[in-house]
Amino acid sequence: MVSVKEVPGAMGLGKEQLLDLYYKMFLARTVGQRERMLNRMGKGPFAVTGEGHEAAQVGTAYALTPGKDWALPYYRDIGVALTLGMTARDLLLAHLSRAEAIESGGRNMPSHFSHPQLRIVSGSAPVATQLPHAVGVALAAKLRGLDEVAITYVGDGGTSVGDVHEAFNFAGVHKCPVIFVCENNQYAISVKWSEQSAVQDVALRAAGYGFPGVTVDGNDVLAVYSAAREAVDRARRGEGATFIEAKTYRLVPHTSDDDDRRYRTAEEVAEWSKKDPLVRYKAWLEEHGVASAREIEALQTRALEEVDEATHYAESAPPPDPASAVLHVYADE
Amino acid sequence: MARGRVVTSEKIDTVGLSEDQLLDIYYKMKLGRAMGERQRLLQRMGKGSITYSCEGHEGVQVGMAAAMTPGKDWLFPYYRDTAFVLALGMSPRDVLMSFFARGGDINSGGKNMPSHFSSVPLRIVSEGAPVATQVPHAVGAALAAKIRGLDEVAVTTFGDGGSSPGDVHESMNFAGVHKCPVIFLCEFNYFAISVASRKQMAVENVAIRAAGYGFPGVTVDGNDVLAMYRAAKEAVERARAGEGATFIEAKTYRLVPHSSDDDDKRYRTAEALEAATKNEPIARFAETLRKLGALDDSKDEEITARVKSEVDDATEWAETEPNPTPEEALRHVYVEEK
Repeated sequence: MVSVKEVPGAMGLGKEQLLDLYYKMFLARTVGQRERMLNRMGKGPFAVTGEGHEAAQVGTAYALTPGKDWALPYYRDIGVALTLGMTARDLLLAHLSRAEAIESGGRNMPSHFSHPQLRIVSGSAPVATQLPHAVGVALAAKLRGLDEVAITYVGDGGTSVGDVHEAFNFAGVHKCPVIFVCENNQYAISVKWSEQSAVQDVALRAAGYGFPGVTVDGNDVLAVYSAAREAVDRARRGEGATFIEAKTYRLVPHTSDDDDRRYRTAEEVAEWSKKDPLVRYKAWLEEHGVASAREIEALQTRALEEVDEATHYAESAPPPDPASAVLHVYADE
Repeated sequence: MARGRVVTSEKIDTVGLSEDQLLDIYYKMKLGRAMGERQRLLQRMGKGSITYSCEGHEGVQVGMAAAMTPGKDWLFPYYRDTAFVLALGMSPRDVLMSFFARGGDINSGGKNMPSHFSSVPLRIVSEGAPVATQVPHAVGAALAAKIRGLDEVAVTTFGDGGSSPGDVHESMNFAGVHKCPVIFLCEFNYFAISVASRKQMAVENVAIRAAGYGFPGVTVDGNDVLAMYRAAKEAVERARAGEGATFIEAKTYRLVPHSSDDDDKRYRTAEALEAATKNEPIARFAETLRKLGALDDSKDEEITARVKSEVDDATEWAETEPNPTPEEALRHVYVEEK
């Protein structure tokens, strides 16, 4: 590994923030589970969720200033969207393609997160196209003399696409304030990382572009936050890009259309379930006396209630009016 | 190449090459240079459409070619590789027939742009015009050789500017995972047309990127043909042994404008060009050969005269050859009925 952050202390975060991190992680887990459930009930067309990735997503997004910094997530980033301020309602409205969905009015595929006020920019369906977009946004901030940072996310499979190379190279030359996060869950859908790359740690590629690459335990939310904090500070200081590789594991199939038993063993999934980032962080909070089991349970209940309410709201919200189909497609007169 | 007396010297490492082989390398470098000059001249006379010539890159190209087995190994060149294809066995006539877009041109029957080198028996595969698209093609050829259990090697070349397209990343990643017998040769001349390499990448040596794909990357003085040959030979041996890819970055300098449509005075100084000229590969190698006792004035003149007569012959031949007939326009475009 290039450099693995040791389990840090609280990273200067107070109790409220530490519990907020847990809440966001648990909320992301619950929204993912709910989307998969609604899909199996025949209510949502498709679910691509992030169970297992919560520490990588929430830990990185927590280092940003929402509404000031820019996020260009990939489809699995429920935790990123929620941490930056999108609500369970926003996500479930999109999941059920409702007219009110802020992402696209029910038009786009679910998990193409978008929010103008929060500066969350919709991804395109082709893998890794969001990386050059993020570099462009970061260059714009630099040219305008603003201390905004752009963060973008990609899976391990996504790192193989040429766009990533072009984005890295450009960011390196122009010292763009951008953070590239690879949520390395070791599978490009069904293709193992060892069949995708001849190197163990993709972060070492950053050296070829002249900026730092760090490999971090992506199931340790505080380690992830620490790496992201450092990268954000570096970008704001005008020192340029950072590549963070967060090693993690997807605890569920790639999507609701995938059967992961065909490419990985039940033993492997069970092994990684023991490293579940929510379980680990909950234990850390209790061990360090940040919160009692009861306090944490209360947070869980609050998240479940929020997702229940969002489900109910989204289910009863109307679908888009067919007459509005070309709205946002052509310029209005 | 015939094996003759092996030249040895306490100071100069000739990498096991015989005197005949060393002189053959020298001859091919001079031939590449003369062919570049001739094409630029003909273009300025209004006789050819465009030139991308190789002056300055001869050490890189001939050094690499000398480590390959022509007709067995594959070359996926880029447009600047005039000396490379000559060193593999294309003739000055072959190159000039393409330059004049003649009907009998083996590269494409006069259809393709000049410098899109192609020779079926020599396994030189024509590139697409978009920069660096030849790189994934080379990986595919190398994978095919590996799957077939053959010890063939694929070599592909591109400039420092060409290292930036995504194709190169995808190629290197694939070659790394599948241990393809391929050599990525970056002819690093410090300019992507007019863009200085420091504006093209934030690293000094692009070869360090190879580490990110799990195979070796070496940076070599491309104006030292023997150093280049050594790096090339090691990479070929590694590929043949089934150990996979190598990235070679050969630092060199283009002594002429990018193409006949480029004015290099707009982006580089006369001083920089003059300094580079002092370090140019042919004069350097001539000095080495003289130190080894392999070259003297009369031998040098003999080689120069031989090169000149071949280039003159090729010019005369290609100038008088007929153009393709208009009826030929669709040949090789659609499948022909038998």
